[in-house]
Amino acid sequence: MSRHQYSMVLDLNKCLGCQTCTMACKKMWTDGDGMDYMYWNNVETRPGQGYPRKWDEMGGGFDRGQLRPSEIPTKEDYGQTFEYNYEARMYGGAASAQPHQEVRNTPNWDEDVGALMLGENYYFYLPRICNHCTNPACLAACPRSAIYKREEDGIVLIDQERCEGYRHCIQACPYKKIYFNELLGKSQKCIFCYPRLEKGDVNACAKQCPGRIRFVGLLDDPHSTVHKLVKVHKVALGLFPEKGTDPNVFYVPPFNPPRTGNYGKSILEDPRLPLDYLIYLFGEEVVEVIRRLEAELKVAQSGGRSEVLQLLIGRDAGVRYQIAQREDLVQIQPARHA
Amino acid sequence: MKSRRDLLKLAGLAALAQTIPGCKKKEMPALESFTGEFDPLRSYPYRSWEDLYRKQWTWDKVVRSTHSANCTGSCSWKVYVRDGVMVREEQAADYPRINEDLPDYNPRGCQKGACFVEYVYGPQRLKSPLIRTGARGEGKWRKASWDEALTLIANKLLDNIYEYGPDTNTFFSVIPAMSPVSFCAGSRLAHYIGGVFCSFYDWYCDLPPGEPLTWGVQTESCECADWFNSKYIVLWGSNISQTRIPDAHFAYEARYNGAKLVAISPDFNSSCMHADLYLPIQPGTDAALALFAANYIIENKLYDEPYVQEQTDLPLLVERRTGRFLRPPGADDRFLWRDAKTGRVLEAPGTMGSKVQSIGLGGVQPDLHARFTHEGKEVVTVFELLRERLAKYTLEYAASVTGLPANDIRQFAHEMGTRKPAMIIHGAGLNHWFHNDLINRALILLVALTGNVGKNGGGFNHYVGQERIWPEHGFKTLAFPEGPKKQRFQNMTLWSYVHSSNQDRHLYNGKPIEHYIEASVKNGWMPLYPKKRDQKPRALIVWRANYLNQAKGNEHILESLWKDLDLIVDVNYRMDTTALHSDVVLPASSYYEKTDLNSTDCHSYIHPFSKVLDPLYDSKPDWDVFGALAKKISEVAAKRGLKPYLDAQFNWERDFTKTHDLWCAHGKLARDEEAANFILEHSPETKGMQYSQLASGPKRFVATDWEAWNSDIEQGVAYTPFKHQLVKKRPWRTLTGRQQFYIDHPWYLDFDEQLPAYKVPLEEDAKYPFFWNTPHGRWSIHSTWRDARYQLRLQRGVPIVYMHPDDAKEKGIEDNDWVKVFNNQGAFVSKVQILPGEKRKRLTMYHGWERYLGFLQGSWQSPTYIKIKPTQLVGGYGHVNFKLNYWGPTGNNRDLRVDVMKYTPTEADLRAMRWNGERKA
Repeated sequence: MSRHQYSMVLDLNKCLGCQTCTMACKKMWTDGDGMDYMYWNNVETRPGQGYPRKWDEMGGGFDRGQLRPSEIPTKEDYGQTFEYNYEARMYGGAASAQPHQEVRNTPNWDEDVGALMLGENYYFYLPRICNHCTNPACLAACPRSAIYKREEDGIVLIDQERCEGYRHCIQACPYKKIYFNELLGKSQKCIFCYPRLEKGDVNACAKQCPGRIRFVGLLDDPHSTVHKLVKVHKVALGLFPEKGTDPNVFYVPPFNPPRTGNYGKSILEDPRLPLDYLIYLFGEEVVEVIRRLEAELKVAQSGGRSEVLQLLIGRDAGVRYQIAQREDLVQIQPARHA
Repeated sequence: MKSRRDLLKLAGLAALAQTIPGCKKKEMPALESFTGEFDPLRSYPYRSWEDLYRKQWTWDKVVRSTHSANCTGSCSWKVYVRDGVMVREEQAADYPRINEDLPDYNPRGCQKGACFVEYVYGPQRLKSPLIRTGARGEGKWRKASWDEALTLIANKLLDNIYEYGPDTNTFFSVIPAMSPVSFCAGSRLAHYIGGVFCSFYDWYCDLPPGEPLTWGVQTESCECADWFNSKYIVLWGSNISQTRIPDAHFAYEARYNGAKLVAISPDFNSSCMHADLYLPIQPGTDAALALFAANYIIENKLYDEPYVQEQTDLPLLVERRTGRFLRPPGADDRFLWRDAKTGRVLEAPGTMGSKVQSIGLGGVQPDLHARFTHEGKEVVTVFELLRERLAKYTLEYAASVTGLPANDIRQFAHEMGTRKPAMIIHGAGLNHWFHNDLINRALILLVALTGNVGKNGGGFNHYVGQERIWPEHGFKTLAFPEGPKKQRFQNMTLWSYVHSSNQDRHLYNGKPIEHYIEASVKNGWMPLYPKKRDQKPRALIVWRANYLNQAKGNEHILESLWKDLDLIVDVNYRMDTTALHSDVVLPASSYYEKTDLNSTDCHSYIHPFSKVLDPLYDSKPDWDVFGALAKKISEVAAKRGLKPYLDAQFNWERDFTKTHDLWCAHGKLARDEEAANFILEHSPETKGMQYSQLASGPKRFVATDWEAWNSDIEQGVAYTPFKHQLVKKRPWRTLTGRQQFYIDHPWYLDFDEQLPAYKVPLEEDAKYPFFWNTPHGRWSIHSTWRDARYQLRLQRGVPIVYMHPDDAKEKGIEDNDWVKVFNNQGAFVSKVQILPGEKRKRLTMYHGWERYLGFLQGSWQSPTYIKIKPTQLVGGYGHVNFKLNYWGPTGNNRDLRVDVMKYTPTEADLRAMRWNGERKA
């Protein structure tokens, strides 16, 4: 166990699906050679194929303490990274500019598609980064011991000098959030922007999120908003808790509006977004969390005040992020909860 | 010059690669082979490598700038420079907070702003002046010097003036708010050479004509922070998650603060998912829903009576027989009502012709319900006429027309009447219909009846196009120095229709649109250049815009107007469709290499464009481009010994040897920073500000110009319009001095549009069963970023038509197939995506795709054509007169229908996709 644990909460009821986080991360970290196909941060439409395609069906994580078998996604699963013949069209008389190959899959291939139930569409956006798990399967799987959890803040890193590119980690990660750089022969992944955090600046994906859906802080710091949302108000849940890695990225679960003609009914009564699907992603607890959120919303919309929703408004960066300076990391007293 | 990528190669991980023996994977050891000399879950001994990523987050300097793409965003960004190369950008995120309760504006910016650097160094970037050598649009060029290119243009413009008249030179640029200095650079030149300056806001159908009609303003909306003050937010045809990315959070946060959120849209879009109530309305029927709600509110007495009496024309009297307002004898602009207390007929104060310039009631209680005989005439109030009109908009009627369940829309109407403050966020989803004015007026009626206009958290707020420039006076003076009366202004919709082979075959009250156009021009309601009707436009200069790509009736424009023009010049930093189809291309500096200002109606701050680096390649900032052209015109005029030209329309003797001298105000405005300071110094909004101070951070406007605005800037309060009217009792800028729902212009009476009404979408050929829908989306700002590689990789890489699964099944179309979309105007071929949230019998393609990218034929504008609504051609009626970008026919395009079929690429298509043999492996 690390002494402290940085954590992120994402409020899916504020997410715009705009991919500014994806672009911020791409330009910050994965704009180098061998990284074209990599999106350490991606946003996928759910239900949907995800990125890499069908990652959630590939296994990984732990099963009763043992690594669960899994596979390494194929290049096709991650999607194509095409180039265009702009020069040929603009200066060479070509008839049109086209991608250099027919496009059959991209990281955001089924954007806004979702699914239909009884003729009505439902979907939501799920932004994903490395979960910086408390019990990382990648770490357990690395034969080089080149993956470690920073003791001061719980960030999980792949040592880029010692990594030999065996890719057991990619196989083991139940979230498929580790990528292989073919040019360098290294596995790479989200580093939770530790160079920024160390200088007191928040992660690029959070800092640049115009939907302001992300909250960052130490999970064990009782004053942090992430702590309050996860541990006190209990409105944020990890993805696929049964995979046994104990993720440290949490989501305020989404609810779509009522089905057509149902205005005035509880969203739990006949939801547009089937609860089974949310249970699949977030576990059984999600039903209770949605019930709680709906009740809080009702309070607010009837003229009352909801503490948890006031927190989720996140009026400015000071509410959303509590970044500790390095020396502080040692001093914060972990919160105790029964 | 080093590219971005080269730099990353040096700085990034590639350096490490040298220490790695090849890239080959070693044979994988079995998992059991891990013995574990240490436990990396607890501590790790080799952490010095972590500096690798620390080094990546370093830079040499950071400079504040922004973008000028007509998104209404106006987001302040920091651009990071390393080793002389711009490497990345990040939102500056330092807008000051308005007050403790309102969420702040940070971080303001989207994924597009986060990758603009790709354009700065990308293959689309224009690096030197180009002169066409092949056919227009073919993409064959030769490089030219600035001197050669400008000499060519200057000679041609002068030839046109002397041979055909100055009104054959046409200028087009859009949206001054996003970069007024760059806008003014060209408009000043147009002004001093007598050129025609065309509108954009109405042409792009972003102007909500219901606002000039009802309120006498162009568009007035609250700044977006004010959404948070609302308790009922209706997203009506506005997909804020995609089109207001920096502002959408205010709506979703308002919900947590007690607002209910309603989304009205035919498709289940990315904003509907966050609503409390989603109404999947039948396309084009929104006015029917609004008028049902208005009926419900009136019949259930949920309207705000004192507000309606004071702030609207509903108490004014109308003569039933003629449908005309009752006016005092001989007056056009004075109006009467009946005092409920005394029964006397009195003149209403505050009308355009009234001596009393206040709408305060002064103890009078205007009777909303009066119906009586006055001096032998049967008279009735507008309110009663409205009630009669609304009677047919019953719950059953609205449910059947809109396809919405009665339960949901009755509750919607009730909440609209009871939850306060309530606001409508209105978008292009409604405004692009032929009857946009009627839709606007129906929706404005809802928020006026309920007393929501002029209050924080309330109103009808339209955000399509960054039309509103805060420092307006300084801008106008810089743009058209001798004043609007000495400038040829032209509505672009009319110009494009008349000068192309676009033809609308509809009859309007039995007459073709040409009849109304001729009448309007003859009456002097709408200008039409060139004035000599046998003359065609000769030259077109486009900057800060992509006229051709965005033109409705694209195929017609290409086959007619584009062939008639002798000279097409495009000033641009990238090769867009208009540039590609031009004769001369002049390379402008990118957004990160110029000095300018930036503002929007979405917030109340101003911040700068800055030269992050000096202009790259052989580019120049727009200010310098037009300065150089003005100079060349003067040089050529002197060299050719041209005598001054008497411009008879203005009685203006134009000596072109002096053009440059005038353009730069005798040297006082030689530099772009001087132009920026001119705007700041001559506007009350920016009093005391200097350009050089703006680098430190966004500054809130300090005041508003009484002429241009309808509320004050108040410290600690989000801006919302019409407090002058509501609080200070200043008359509205309309004929009646009130929010005017009754327009008694004869053409409005002829078309039965004196009051808001629901009219079905314009009928089209029944052979084409699908509505053709081209909304704004998240991946581009019009055509900008449509061709940006990093953006495209997060889509499907090529233009996509969205289609409902059941429609696709009927047509035998599968996901990612090629399809042909067509009607009698034109056709295009693109890929298809099956989208369950799409409405049946509608096809959607997010707009702005460059004509040259991804299509196998045509473009998204190929099925469109220009249609003009007769009532938008009127003038000479109180507040309804032609004014550039305020009033003029809109370039609507939503009523259009198409059909679709699966398409199998031909051999020729496949060859065309093969990059002319340069295809990479």
